[in-house]
Amino acid sequence: MTDVIAAARAEQRTLLSEVEAKQLLAEAGVNVTETRLAASAEEAASHAAELGYPVALKVVSDAITHKTDVGGVELGIADEAELRTAWDAIHARVADSAPGADLHGLSVQPMAEPGAEVILGITQDQQFGPVLMFGLGGVFVEVLKDVAFRIVPLEPRDASEMVREIQGFPLLEGFRGQPAANLEAIESMLLQLSEFAEANPEIAELDLNPVFARPDGAIAVDARILLTSDS
Amino acid sequence: MAVTRERLTRALAPKVVAVIGDKKASGYNWLRSMKEFDGPVYSVQVDENEIPGIEELGIPNYKSLTDIPDQVDFAVCAVPRQVAPFIVQGCVEANVGGVTLFTSGFAETGEDIGVELQNKIFEIADPSGLALIGPNCMGLHVPGLGVRFNRDQPAGVQGNIGFVSQSGTHGMNFSLTGAAHGLYCSTLVSFGNGIILEAADYLEYLVDDPQTEVIGMYIEGARDGQRLFRTLREVAAKKPVIIWKGGQTEGGGRAIRSHTASLASDQAIWEAMIRQVGAVAVHNLDEMIDVVKATLLTKRTQGNRLGLIAMTGGQSVVLTDAFEKAGWRVPTLSEKSYSQLSEFFNIIGGSYRNPLDAAGTIGQDPKHLDTIFDILNADENIDAVGMELSATFMARRWQDKPEEFDRLIGSLKRFMAESDKPFLAALHPSHVEEAAHTARLRLQEEGIATFPSFERAANALRKASTLAAVN
Repeated sequence: MTDVIAAARAEQRTLLSEVEAKQLLAEAGVNVTETRLAASAEEAASHAAELGYPVALKVVSDAITHKTDVGGVELGIADEAELRTAWDAIHARVADSAPGADLHGLSVQPMAEPGAEVILGITQDQQFGPVLMFGLGGVFVEVLKDVAFRIVPLEPRDASEMVREIQGFPLLEGFRGQPAANLEAIESMLLQLSEFAEANPEIAELDLNPVFARPDGAIAVDARILLTSDS
Repeated sequence: MAVTRERLTRALAPKVVAVIGDKKASGYNWLRSMKEFDGPVYSVQVDENEIPGIEELGIPNYKSLTDIPDQVDFAVCAVPRQVAPFIVQGCVEANVGGVTLFTSGFAETGEDIGVELQNKIFEIADPSGLALIGPNCMGLHVPGLGVRFNRDQPAGVQGNIGFVSQSGTHGMNFSLTGAAHGLYCSTLVSFGNGIILEAADYLEYLVDDPQTEVIGMYIEGARDGQRLFRTLREVAAKKPVIIWKGGQTEGGGRAIRSHTASLASDQAIWEAMIRQVGAVAVHNLDEMIDVVKATLLTKRTQGNRLGLIAMTGGQSVVLTDAFEKAGWRVPTLSEKSYSQLSEFFNIIGGSYRNPLDAAGTIGQDPKHLDTIFDILNADENIDAVGMELSATFMARRWQDKPEEFDRLIGSLKRFMAESDKPFLAALHPSHVEEAAHTARLRLQEEGIATFPSFERAANALRKASTLAAVN
């Protein structure tokens, strides 16, 4: 479990790749889309065949924090032919917008069935230690800052209350014919993250953004982990 | 070494008190504040110029703590900072229960010498188990025992509010302004830099203290936030805790790369922590007083439907606005209530929809107020009752005809005794503020939760009803 962290430390990195972050989370039992690193188009094609189409391809580089900003993401790839085209397209765009960025390759992951987009996160507070955040994704978190916090460790009641505390909560209950999100799945993911934060004090920041909250469960489709700088 | 409960109790509920280093220049504030103390008070002062003045106050003075022919439980130390470590050493040697270091000029200055002296004091006090309060604080106020740090603080009255304050001023203001609202402390501690005992230690004491029914806290930051969080979670489940967080701690200044970290402001985290532990957050002294008052003086309800009694039509409207804005509902009454009210209610210049605009009806016959209360008590649409007591129209009249005010108070207390529904009153400041203030004090003495505005009443009742310990 600590291998990923040890490897990052050995390279003096504090930002984990999406592949590494998801590996850590999956080992902790958090439901994430399975994500594999491919160094070549051939390798990507073989991962995709195993994971099942449609898939997403995303650039993996220490130098790139915001993958979409550099054109490093292709979604909804239907078959191997599209995959090979997407592979070349991403490399061309990244070479153009982030010249000289050192690429580890691209990550391959199956497209998750969409649901209400929520964000779950961890940060470290100077006084209270690890803190959990929950909110709706997209503009709700970025513009309206409609989020709820709790101090770790969370009790089940805390998870239940923080999900219901946000202003946008009715959107999760199935607003205007949208399917209702599975609140229990979100709550249990919050409780898993609480344990994860307690077990891994080296995690300075974590964003699961977005998590798709569907009627049948919740799954994190992107993950970002930043380690503490002192160690 | 941890401070034992026995040692802490000696300090916070002392039988013998000593004041170290008080002097004329400070008006003998500490010795004079202890004038009402329920036990022996000694002075320790080595300055020959100061001793005669102290002895003139009738307080025996000694050159050293160890000379005092009594076991000192609680000492106040008001000496210059360079001398403070020697006094703390003296307290350890004399087996004093606890000491308050009013002395300031330590780590809070940021100066090397201040930090060094504070560390020295810590090293002396920590291994001894001495209950050290402060430094840089006002210390202890226990009105029931006559322990005070300000001569205007009440003495000889047993209060029921535990108050823990990182600031001396806010602690003092709570005890003084609170008393003007009929609210008295069981134990109040201003703990300043909190190098030995910090907020969590006092909370643990107060939750076990049988005199303390509700706990208020003013805090700016916690040295051990996790301990404070865990302690509060236990304490707030047993007794209502109301927290006023002052100031904003600056972020660590590190590069932030996630949404989560960028949104986690100091204020957001404290508010979340307060909600998580089942305490309630307030944002100034007035709100602290209001919520403490509502918590102590009103009953609890799970419902949010209010029956309101006003004295004029205009007040009926804004009274309703204030409560609805704070999350309360002002519903129509039951059919049964309406049929009962129609039998006697004066609808000329009045109305009984809810709010009940009732001045004319009560003016006709004061017994009608009791009937209105009985109807609201029985009404299933109503969870709580609020009443406007009009200072504008009534305050002067109550002054001239105290028997009318007595009768009103009798009606309010009768309802409070007979009903499980919370009751609160609002008495606004007015052109006859002296008369209104006198009336407000009397209402509070009678245990009637009275607020100076509808908004403050509505907010206080709502916040009091969210406390974990009462639900």
